[in-house]
Amino acid sequence: MNKLLTVRSLKKYFPVYGGLFSRVIGQVKAVDDVSFNIHEGEILGLVGESGCGKTTVGRMSLRLTQPTSGVVNFEKANIFKLSKKELDKLRPKMQIIFQDPYSSLNPRFTVEQIIGEALSVHFHINGKELRARVESLMEKVGLSSMYLNRYAHEFSGGQRQRIGIARALALGPRYIVCDEPVSALDVSIQAQIINLLQTLQQEENLSMLFISHDLNVVKHLSQRTAVMYLGKIVELASTEQIANNSAHPYTQALLASKPSLDPKYRIRPQPLSGDVPSPLNPPSGCHFHPRCPKVMDRCKTEVPRQIQLEKNHQVLCHLYDE
Amino acid sequence: MPLLQVEDLSTFFHTEENTVKSLRNIDLTIHKGETLALVGESGCGKSVTALSVMGLIPTPPGKFESGRILFRGQDLLKASESEMQSIRGNEISMIFQEPMTSLNPIFTIGDQIMEAIHLHQNKTKFQARELALNALRQVAIPSPENRIDQYPHELSGGMKQRVMIAMAIASQPSLLIADEPTTALDVTIQAQILDLLDQLRQKIEMSILLITHNLGIVAQYADRVAVMYAGKIVELASVEELFASPLHPYTLGLLNSLPKDGTKLETIPGVVPHPAYLPKGCAFHPRCAEKVDQCTKMIPPLKPINSKSLHQTACWLYETSPTV
Repeated sequence: MNKLLTVRSLKKYFPVYGGLFSRVIGQVKAVDDVSFNIHEGEILGLVGESGCGKTTVGRMSLRLTQPTSGVVNFEKANIFKLSKKELDKLRPKMQIIFQDPYSSLNPRFTVEQIIGEALSVHFHINGKELRARVESLMEKVGLSSMYLNRYAHEFSGGQRQRIGIARALALGPRYIVCDEPVSALDVSIQAQIINLLQTLQQEENLSMLFISHDLNVVKHLSQRTAVMYLGKIVELASTEQIANNSAHPYTQALLASKPSLDPKYRIRPQPLSGDVPSPLNPPSGCHFHPRCPKVMDRCKTEVPRQIQLEKNHQVLCHLYDE
Repeated sequence: MPLLQVEDLSTFFHTEENTVKSLRNIDLTIHKGETLALVGESGCGKSVTALSVMGLIPTPPGKFESGRILFRGQDLLKASESEMQSIRGNEISMIFQEPMTSLNPIFTIGDQIMEAIHLHQNKTKFQARELALNALRQVAIPSPENRIDQYPHELSGGMKQRVMIAMAIASQPSLLIADEPTTALDVTIQAQILDLLDQLRQKIEMSILLITHNLGIVAQYADRVAVMYAGKIVELASVEELFASPLHPYTLGLLNSLPKDGTKLETIPGVVPHPAYLPKGCAFHPRCAEKVDQCTKMIPPLKPINSKSLHQTACWLYETSPTV
């Protein structure tokens, strides 16, 4: 499989202003040295709790957010080095689906305008041809083309998410960032959207970065899974390995805190103590050490390095560093 | 006698355009020390049930069309405002979904917990502070002596939810209504909060009405489960029975639509109907794969599946089985 997207030592530090003259008094290391690849036709799941930097990684991989440093190669071009013109040419190939279907659609646009806007901007398609393209896109995502002239507020959450998906598909992308696309939806609607994403991904051989806090959804969809904690990817492996053979204590805790669906199986593992620390003032050494059940002395001072456990299984933990 | 008994409760909201039928003839009981989970999708009436019990439905536009809410035998719908005030926050407490917006930002958390104590118990300032500290200790907040004088913005989401719980249990209520207590929190924090609620339930013998849409939480923490759809309870059973042999097609659909392994998910087609424009007969029939003629005409009653069982469902498919 060919690598479609490579991310190398991506960093994003947000300055914190304060004091008398609003000077920079600190940095939030939202994303701190993140590297991964996405192959053609592959879904990479990105899991983590709120504030761990998942969304920032997704946005930087599309150059919607400028990184502090690092490289993102898309089809071998470093997207941060491209001129505006070159980037415009690449834009149709990379798209995003947002979390909140209520705020990510323009309330003054009809469905036709929402889905068709990018087509007329990038490919100069207008009039009848545009309408035909929009209609076929709507059909593809399971919306009746009768709704062409309706506004976003007339739709339910699930239908709005379908509009968002149609908009992302309009330009025939190769790579889509799905930023928590189902977490705002009800369970029965979630399943419909997950199935739709899966079908579309297989039909068009799309590559996806699937960002979610829901391990079940990621496990269901993705081939490989990356687990983030406070700006770092602490474990990256095939979804199977993450589910059955996870190495990092944080991944293990995440898996254990997921409630089981069997009421007869009520043995509850000790939940993680403590809160997610503030990224403004992360703990020294390994950021996870104050909550880690297997903490050792060196975890408190030394930042762990990346360990290759097997082929395709990386972990950031002193436990595996001999 | 059950602690709380909701009988034939209907709560409607009258607006200029239409009438939103949020609850339609609900029957519920909660016994001492048990956790009853109320499950359903957004808009099915879970929160309206909670607010009706708390007497927090604004009337108008809300109106109780029928029914009684008996708490220790007293009808809460007939209680005066002052009677309600002595029950609310004292005998029945509630924790809300969003800890971020449910705390007052301009008071310290100590002030807010003590306010609840002063309202219901005749205590000096010093005693109230001791009780507040105790409540914070019970919800496992580290160094409560420092935390008690902090403002909500100084706490994380999980901490704020603990403060909400501390406030709710400060008066040792006999019924705690938890409306999606962990939906706004991270998974690792979710387990902490739910375990805490469960421990407190055992310690002070309170009953919990747990409102959630997460079936995993239901499986792990509930004793009995009521599944709601479009303002009606469609299935009521013990948690073991519900997960082992779900009866109502909606319950089945919900359980099947959860991601399991790589196979394609089963889905419930269509969407939840608008509570002001419900379909005739069983509200689920337009989405139901097993509907029969009767479903489009008459609303099925919630009935036990046989005379011995406590497993109840509101579905015409099971009407042929021997009933009481």
